[in-house]
Amino acid sequence: MDLKKFGKWLASLKNEGVDTIPLEERRSFLKMGLKVTGVFAGGTILSVASKLEKAQAIPPAYVGTFPYKPHYAMVLITDRCVDCELCMEACVRTNHVPPYGWRTRIFERKIKGPEGYVRQFMPVLCNQCNIPPCVRVCPTKATVKDPKTGIVKMIPKKCIGCKTCMTACPYDMRYFNEERRAVDKCDFCWESRLSKGGKITACAEACPAGVRIFGDLADPKSKVYQIVYDPARVIWVLRPETGAKPNVFYTIEGLG
Amino acid sequence: MNRWFLLFIPLILFCFLASKPLWGQEDEEEYPQEPIIFTKPVKAVIFDHKFHVEEAGLSCEDCHEDVFEMATGTAEENEDFNMEALYNGKYCGACHDGESAFASDKKCTTCHIGVLGWQRLKRQERKTSH
Repeated sequence: MDLKKFGKWLASLKNEGVDTIPLEERRSFLKMGLKVTGVFAGGTILSVASKLEKAQAIPPAYVGTFPYKPHYAMVLITDRCVDCELCMEACVRTNHVPPYGWRTRIFERKIKGPEGYVRQFMPVLCNQCNIPPCVRVCPTKATVKDPKTGIVKMIPKKCIGCKTCMTACPYDMRYFNEERRAVDKCDFCWESRLSKGGKITACAEACPAGVRIFGDLADPKSKVYQIVYDPARVIWVLRPETGAKPNVFYTIEGLG
Repeated sequence: MNRWFLLFIPLILFCFLASKPLWGQEDEEEYPQEPIIFTKPVKAVIFDHKFHVEEAGLSCEDCHEDVFEMATGTAEENEDFNMEALYNGKYCGACHDGESAFASDKKCTTCHIGVLGWQRLKRQERKTSH
Protein backbone atom coordinates (compact mmCIF):
# COMPACT_ATOMS: atom_id res chain seq x y z
CA MET A 1 0.00 0.00 0.00
CA ASP A 2 1.60 3.23 -1.01
CA LEU A 3 1.42 6.26 1.16
CA LYS A 4 -1.26 8.04 -0.86
CA LYS A 5 -3.63 5.08 -0.65
CA PHE A 6 -2.89 4.67 3.00
CA GLY A 7 -3.69 8.31 3.55
CA LYS A 8 -6.98 7.97 1.73
CA TRP A 9 -7.92 4.87 3.69
CA LEU A 10 -7.02 6.64 6.90
CA ALA A 11 -9.15 9.62 5.96
CA SER A 12 -12.08 7.38 5.09
CA LEU A 13 -12.15 5.87 8.61
CA LYS A 14 -14.96 7.05 10.80
CA ASN A 15 -13.88 9.06 13.81
CA GLU A 16 -15.25 7.10 16.73
CA GLY A 17 -14.13 9.55 19.34
CA VAL A 18 -11.77 8.86 22.19
CA ASP A 19 -14.42 7.93 24.74
CA THR A 20 -14.75 4.33 23.59
CA ILE A 21 -11.07 3.45 23.86
CA PRO A 22 -10.36 1.17 26.83
CA LEU A 23 -8.30 2.87 29.50
CA GLU A 24 -5.54 0.26 29.42
CA GLU A 25 -5.04 0.54 25.69
CA ARG A 26 -5.20 4.30 25.85
CA ARG A 27 -2.52 4.37 28.49
CA SER A 28 -0.13 2.01 26.76
CA PHE A 29 -0.68 3.98 23.61
CA LEU A 30 0.14 7.23 25.30
CA LYS A 31 3.21 5.59 26.78
CA MET A 32 4.43 4.86 23.27
CA GLY A 33 4.38 8.58 22.78
CA LEU A 34 1.55 8.83 20.30
CA LYS A 35 -1.37 11.16 20.48
CA VAL A 36 -4.91 9.86 20.74
CA THR A 37 -6.53 11.51 17.77
CA GLY A 38 -9.79 9.65 17.79
CA VAL A 39 -9.18 7.26 14.91
CA PHE A 40 -10.00 3.89 16.30
CA ALA A 41 -9.97 1.03 13.85
CA GLY A 42 -10.91 -2.50 14.83
CA GLY A 43 -9.86 -2.18 18.44
CA THR A 44 -6.48 -0.64 17.69
CA ILE A 45 -5.83 3.02 17.89
CA LEU A 46 -4.20 4.53 14.87
CA SER A 47 -2.32 7.73 14.83
CA VAL A 48 0.41 9.21 12.74
CA ALA A 49 1.10 12.17 14.98
CA SER A 50 4.00 11.52 17.30
CA LYS A 51 4.77 13.32 20.49
CA LEU A 52 7.61 11.08 21.51
CA GLU A 53 9.76 13.86 22.90
CA LYS A 54 7.04 14.72 25.39
CA ALA A 55 6.49 11.17 26.50
CA GLN A 56 10.19 10.58 27.01
CA ALA A 57 10.42 13.34 29.58
CA ILE A 58 9.99 10.97 32.52
CA PRO A 59 9.48 12.14 35.21
CA PRO A 60 7.56 15.05 33.71
CA ALA A 61 9.23 18.41 33.98
CA TYR A 62 6.59 19.74 36.39
CA VAL A 63 7.43 17.14 39.00
CA GLY A 64 10.69 18.81 40.01
CA THR A 65 13.20 17.20 42.33
CA PHE A 66 12.38 14.10 44.29
CA PRO A 67 12.20 13.75 47.20
CA TYR A 68 11.47 17.32 48.06
CA LYS A 69 13.01 18.97 51.08
CA PRO A 70 10.87 19.14 53.08
CA HIS A 71 8.70 16.50 51.48
CA TYR A 72 5.32 17.29 53.01
CA ALA A 73 3.08 14.29 53.42
CA MET A 74 0.15 13.15 55.50
CA VAL A 75 -0.80 9.81 56.99
CA LEU A 76 -4.45 9.18 57.76
CA ILE A 77 -5.13 6.54 60.38
CA THR A 78 -8.64 6.00 59.13
CA ASP A 79 -10.11 3.78 61.81
CA ARG A 80 -9.45 6.48 64.40
CA CYS A 81 -11.75 8.83 62.51
CA VAL A 82 -15.17 9.37 64.06
CA ASP A 83 -16.40 11.96 61.55
CA CYS A 84 -16.68 14.77 64.09
CA GLU A 85 -15.70 17.04 61.21
CA LEU A 86 -13.66 19.35 63.42
CA CYS A 87 -10.96 19.16 60.74
CA MET A 88 -13.37 20.39 58.11
CA GLU A 89 -14.51 23.22 60.37
CA ALA A 90 -10.91 24.22 61.08
CA CYS A 91 -10.10 24.11 57.37
CA VAL A 92 -13.09 26.30 56.49
CA ARG A 93 -12.06 28.84 59.14
CA THR A 94 -8.38 28.87 58.17
CA ASN A 95 -8.68 28.88 54.41
CA HIS A 96 -12.00 30.73 54.02
CA VAL A 97 -13.70 27.87 52.22
CA PRO A 98 -17.23 28.79 51.10
CA PRO A 99 -20.16 26.61 52.20
CA TYR A 100 -20.52 25.05 48.75
CA GLY A 101 -16.83 24.17 48.53
CA TRP A 102 -14.41 21.82 50.25
CA ARG A 103 -10.71 21.31 50.66
CA THR A 104 -11.12 18.15 52.64
CA ARG A 105 -14.02 15.79 53.05
CA ILE A 106 -14.99 12.74 55.02
CA PHE A 107 -16.56 9.75 53.38
CA GLU A 108 -18.27 6.83 55.01
CA ARG A 109 -18.26 3.21 54.06
CA LYS A 110 -19.40 -0.05 55.53
CA ILE A 111 -16.82 -2.77 55.53
CA LYS A 112 -17.31 -6.37 56.48
CA GLY A 113 -15.70 -7.21 59.79
CA PRO A 114 -15.65 -10.41 61.83
CA GLU A 115 -18.89 -9.41 63.58
CA GLY A 116 -20.86 -8.10 60.65
CA TYR A 117 -20.56 -4.74 58.97
CA VAL A 118 -18.65 -1.93 60.60
CA ARG A 119 -18.70 1.73 59.77
CA GLN A 120 -15.46 3.31 58.65
CA PHE A 121 -14.88 6.96 57.97
CA MET A 122 -12.35 8.04 55.42
CA PRO A 123 -11.02 11.57 55.37
CA VAL A 124 -9.86 12.66 51.94
CA LEU A 125 -7.89 15.74 50.97
CA CYS A 126 -5.69 16.75 48.05
CA ASN A 127 -3.15 13.94 47.71
CA GLN A 128 -0.40 16.37 46.57
CA CYS A 129 0.49 13.77 43.94
CA ASN A 130 4.03 13.36 42.72
CA ILE A 131 2.68 13.07 39.19
CA PRO A 132 -0.37 15.31 39.52
CA PRO A 133 -2.94 14.84 36.76
CA CYS A 134 -4.40 18.27 37.50
CA VAL A 135 -1.09 20.01 36.80
CA ARG A 136 -0.68 18.09 33.61
CA VAL A 137 -4.03 19.16 32.17
CA CYS A 138 -4.05 22.83 33.19
CA PRO A 139 -3.89 24.89 29.99
CA THR A 140 -2.69 28.07 31.68
CA LYS A 141 -0.32 26.57 34.28
CA ALA A 142 -2.51 28.00 36.99
CA THR A 143 -1.87 24.94 39.12
CA VAL A 144 1.71 23.96 39.76
CA LYS A 145 3.74 21.42 41.68
CA ASP A 146 6.01 23.46 43.87
CA PRO A 147 9.59 22.40 43.03
CA LYS A 148 10.72 22.99 46.62
CA THR A 149 8.04 21.44 48.80
CA GLY A 150 6.11 19.32 46.34
CA ILE A 151 2.84 20.96 47.30
CA VAL A 152 0.36 21.27 44.45
CA LYS A 153 -0.60 24.94 44.51
CA MET A 154 -3.04 27.18 42.73
CA ILE A 155 -2.18 30.51 41.18
CA PRO A 156 -5.71 31.99 41.21
CA LYS A 157 -4.98 34.91 38.90
CA LYS A 158 -3.87 32.56 36.15
CA CYS A 159 -6.96 30.34 36.44
CA ILE A 160 -9.46 30.77 33.62
CA GLY A 161 -12.06 28.55 35.30
CA CYS A 162 -12.13 25.83 32.64
CA LYS A 163 -12.43 23.21 35.40
CA THR A 164 -10.38 20.67 33.47
CA CYS A 165 -8.32 20.06 36.61
CA MET A 166 -11.51 19.24 38.52
CA THR A 167 -12.23 16.51 36.00
CA ALA A 168 -8.65 15.29 36.02
CA CYS A 169 -8.35 15.01 39.79
CA PRO A 170 -8.78 11.34 40.75
CA TYR A 171 -9.86 12.36 44.26
CA ASP A 172 -12.43 15.07 43.45
CA MET A 173 -10.60 17.46 45.74
CA ARG A 174 -10.98 20.62 43.67
CA TYR A 175 -13.92 22.98 43.57
CA PHE A 176 -14.65 26.22 41.76
CA ASN A 177 -14.58 29.19 44.09
CA GLU A 178 -17.19 31.61 42.81
CA GLU A 179 -15.80 34.55 44.76
CA ARG A 180 -12.25 34.15 43.54
CA ARG A 181 -13.40 33.06 40.09
CA ALA A 182 -10.79 30.35 40.32
CA VAL A 183 -10.50 26.72 41.27
CA ASP A 184 -9.49 26.22 44.89
CA LYS A 185 -7.89 23.26 46.59
CA CYS A 186 -5.96 22.10 49.63
CA ASP A 187 -2.38 23.35 49.68
CA PHE A 188 -1.46 21.73 53.01
CA CYS A 189 -2.23 25.17 54.51
CA TRP A 190 0.81 26.62 52.72
CA GLU A 191 -0.74 30.06 52.22
CA SER A 192 -2.40 30.28 55.59
CA ARG A 193 0.08 28.56 57.90
CA LEU A 194 3.22 26.84 56.59
CA SER A 195 4.56 29.86 54.69
CA LYS A 196 4.11 31.91 57.87
CA GLY A 197 6.21 29.56 59.96
CA GLY A 198 3.49 27.08 60.91
CA LYS A 199 4.54 23.48 61.27
CA ILE A 200 1.25 21.68 60.90
CA THR A 201 -1.93 21.98 58.89
CA ALA A 202 -5.13 23.29 60.46
CA CYS A 203 -6.94 19.97 60.00
CA ALA A 204 -4.16 17.95 61.64
CA GLU A 205 -4.12 20.36 64.56
CA ALA A 206 -7.89 20.25 65.00
CA CYS A 207 -8.24 16.46 64.92
CA PRO A 208 -9.06 15.22 68.43
CA ALA A 209 -8.49 11.56 67.54
CA GLY A 210 -5.02 11.80 65.99
CA VAL A 211 -6.16 10.66 62.57
CA ARG A 212 -4.18 13.16 60.53
CA ILE A 213 -0.44 12.86 60.95
CA PHE A 214 1.32 15.61 59.05
CA GLY A 215 5.04 15.91 58.53
CA ASP A 216 8.14 15.68 56.41
CA LEU A 217 8.52 12.36 54.60
CA ALA A 218 12.19 13.13 53.89
CA ASP A 219 12.99 13.34 57.60
CA PRO A 220 13.55 9.92 59.25
CA LYS A 221 12.75 11.43 62.65
CA SER A 222 9.24 12.55 61.66
CA LYS A 223 6.21 10.56 62.66
CA VAL A 224 5.06 10.41 59.07
CA TYR A 225 8.31 8.78 58.00
CA GLN A 226 8.18 6.28 60.85
CA ILE A 227 4.64 5.23 60.00
CA VAL A 228 5.06 5.06 56.23
CA TYR A 229 8.34 3.14 56.38
CA ASP A 230 7.26 0.83 59.21
CA PRO A 231 7.54 -2.66 57.69
CA ALA A 232 4.95 -4.04 60.12
CA ARG A 233 2.27 -1.66 58.96
CA VAL A 234 -0.07 -1.88 56.01
CA ILE A 235 0.00 1.38 54.10
CA TRP A 236 -2.07 2.19 51.07
CA VAL A 237 -2.95 5.09 48.85
CA LEU A 238 -6.23 5.90 47.17
CA ARG A 239 -6.66 4.96 43.54
CA PRO A 240 -3.10 3.81 42.86
CA GLU A 241 -4.12 2.74 39.37
CA THR A 242 -4.17 6.34 38.19
CA GLY A 243 -0.40 6.45 38.59
CA ALA A 244 -0.54 9.81 40.31
CA LYS A 245 1.75 8.65 43.16
CA PRO A 246 0.06 10.41 46.07
CA ASN A 247 1.74 11.87 49.14
CA VAL A 248 -1.26 11.11 51.33
CA PHE A 249 -1.11 7.66 52.86
CA TYR A 250 -3.70 5.56 54.62
CA THR A 251 -3.34 3.02 57.37
CA ILE A 252 -5.34 1.57 60.25
CA GLU A 253 -4.59 1.17 63.92
CA GLY A 254 -6.60 -2.04 64.25
CA LEU A 255 -9.18 -0.77 66.73
CA GLY A 256 -11.83 -3.09 65.32
CA MET B 1 -62.13 27.77 49.22
CA ASN B 2 -64.26 26.28 51.96
CA ARG B 3 -64.67 22.99 50.13
CA TRP B 4 -60.93 22.49 49.83
CA PHE B 5 -60.51 23.15 53.49
CA LEU B 6 -63.06 20.49 54.34
CA LEU B 7 -61.14 17.97 52.28
CA PHE B 8 -58.08 18.47 54.42
CA ILE B 9 -59.77 17.74 57.74
CA PRO B 10 -59.94 13.94 57.36
CA LEU B 11 -56.34 13.98 56.14
CA ILE B 12 -55.13 15.81 59.21
CA LEU B 13 -57.18 13.52 61.44
CA PHE B 14 -55.63 10.51 59.76
CA CYS B 15 -52.14 11.84 60.33
CA PHE B 16 -52.86 12.27 64.00
CA LEU B 17 -54.20 8.76 64.34
CA ALA B 18 -51.32 7.21 62.41
CA SER B 19 -48.60 8.94 64.37
CA LYS B 20 -50.10 8.62 67.85
CA PRO B 21 -52.18 5.64 68.84
CA LEU B 22 -54.61 6.71 71.56
CA TRP B 23 -54.55 3.49 73.55
CA GLY B 24 -52.40 0.42 74.24
CA GLN B 25 -49.14 2.34 74.61
CA GLU B 26 -48.78 3.18 78.28
CA ASP B 27 -47.26 -0.07 79.55
CA GLU B 28 -44.80 -0.46 76.66
CA GLU B 29 -43.12 2.93 76.82
CA GLU B 30 -40.72 2.26 79.63
CA TYR B 31 -37.72 3.84 77.93
CA PRO B 32 -37.24 6.43 75.19
CA GLN B 33 -37.86 4.85 71.80
CA GLU B 34 -35.78 7.38 69.91
CA PRO B 35 -31.99 7.06 70.18
CA ILE B 36 -30.14 9.74 72.15
CA ILE B 37 -27.59 11.72 70.13
CA PHE B 38 -24.70 13.36 71.97
CA THR B 39 -23.18 16.29 70.10
CA LYS B 40 -20.72 17.51 72.74
CA PRO B 41 -17.77 17.49 72.95
CA VAL B 42 -17.74 15.95 69.44
CA LYS B 43 -20.44 15.29 66.90
CA ALA B 44 -22.08 12.82 67.07
CA VAL B 45 -22.45 9.81 69.35
CA ILE B 46 -25.49 7.57 69.39
CA PHE B 47 -26.98 5.89 72.41
CA ASP B 48 -29.89 3.58 71.79
CA HIS B 49 -32.00 2.69 74.84
CA LYS B 50 -33.72 -0.04 72.86
CA PHE B 51 -30.49 -1.96 72.26
CA HIS B 52 -29.22 -1.58 75.82
CA VAL B 53 -32.50 -2.73 77.35
CA GLU B 54 -33.55 -5.45 74.94
CA GLU B 55 -30.24 -6.87 73.68
CA ALA B 56 -27.90 -6.12 76.58
CA GLY B 57 -30.61 -6.81 79.16
CA LEU B 58 -30.02 -3.76 81.33
CA SER B 59 -32.67 -2.34 83.61
CA CYS B 60 -33.25 1.36 84.25
CA GLU B 61 -31.57 1.18 87.69
CA ASP B 62 -28.32 -0.14 86.23
CA CYS B 63 -27.48 3.30 84.85
CA HIS B 64 -30.01 5.76 86.33
CA GLU B 65 -29.28 7.83 88.37
CA ASP B 66 -25.74 6.73 89.27
CA VAL B 67 -24.04 6.75 85.88
CA PHE B 68 -26.37 9.02 83.97
CA GLU B 69 -29.09 11.36 85.16
CA MET B 70 -32.50 10.66 83.73
CA ALA B 71 -32.69 13.82 81.64
CA THR B 72 -31.35 14.29 78.14
CA GLY B 73 -28.36 16.61 77.87
CA THR B 74 -27.22 16.61 81.50
CA ALA B 75 -24.06 14.56 80.90
CA GLU B 76 -23.10 16.77 77.97
CA GLU B 77 -23.06 19.81 80.22
CA ASN B 78 -20.27 18.29 82.32
CA GLU B 79 -16.68 19.35 81.69
CA ASP B 80 -15.35 15.81 81.99
CA PHE B 81 -17.74 14.16 79.54
CA ASN B 82 -14.98 12.91 77.24
CA MET B 83 -13.07 9.76 76.29
CA GLU B 84 -10.55 10.21 79.11
CA ALA B 85 -13.36 9.95 81.67
CA LEU B 86 -14.71 6.87 79.92
CA TYR B 87 -11.32 5.17 80.19
CA ASN B 88 -11.45 5.92 83.91
CA GLY B 89 -14.74 4.10 84.26
CA LYS B 90 -17.10 7.05 84.21
CA TYR B 91 -20.26 7.43 82.09
CA CYS B 92 -20.33 4.77 79.31
CA GLY B 93 -16.98 3.51 80.61
CA ALA B 94 -18.75 2.00 83.63
CA CYS B 95 -19.64 -0.96 81.41
CA HIS B 96 -17.55 -0.31 78.30
CA ASP B 97 -14.33 -1.43 79.95
CA GLY B 98 -13.52 -4.48 77.86
CA GLU B 99 -15.16 -6.90 80.31
CA SER B 100 -18.88 -6.15 80.60
CA ALA B 101 -18.95 -4.61 77.15
CA PHE B 102 -16.39 -3.74 74.46
CA ALA B 103 -13.72 -1.32 75.66
CA SER B 104 -14.15 2.40 75.17
CA ASP B 105 -11.00 2.65 73.08
CA LYS B 106 -12.14 0.02 70.61
CA LYS B 107 -14.78 -0.07 67.89
CA CYS B 108 -15.01 3.72 67.79
CA THR B 109 -17.56 3.93 65.02
CA THR B 110 -20.07 1.67 66.76
CA CYS B 111 -21.17 4.67 68.85
CA HIS B 112 -19.52 7.51 66.94
CA ILE B 113 -21.88 7.78 64.01
CA GLY B 114 -20.35 11.11 63.05
CA VAL B 115 -21.91 14.08 61.36
CA LEU B 116 -22.82 11.91 58.39
CA GLY B 117 -24.71 9.41 60.51
CA TRP B 118 -26.40 12.18 62.46
CA GLN B 119 -27.58 13.89 59.29
CA ARG B 120 -28.88 10.58 57.98
CA LEU B 121 -30.90 10.04 61.18
CA LYS B 122 -32.33 13.55 60.89
CA ARG B 123 -33.33 12.89 57.30
CA GLN B 124 -35.05 9.64 58.30
CA GLU B 125 -36.85 11.44 61.12
CA ARG B 126 -38.09 14.09 58.73
CA LYS B 127 -39.31 11.42 56.35
CA THR B 128 -41.26 9.49 58.97
CA SER B 129 -42.77 12.58 60.57
CA HIS B 130 -44.32 13.69 57.28
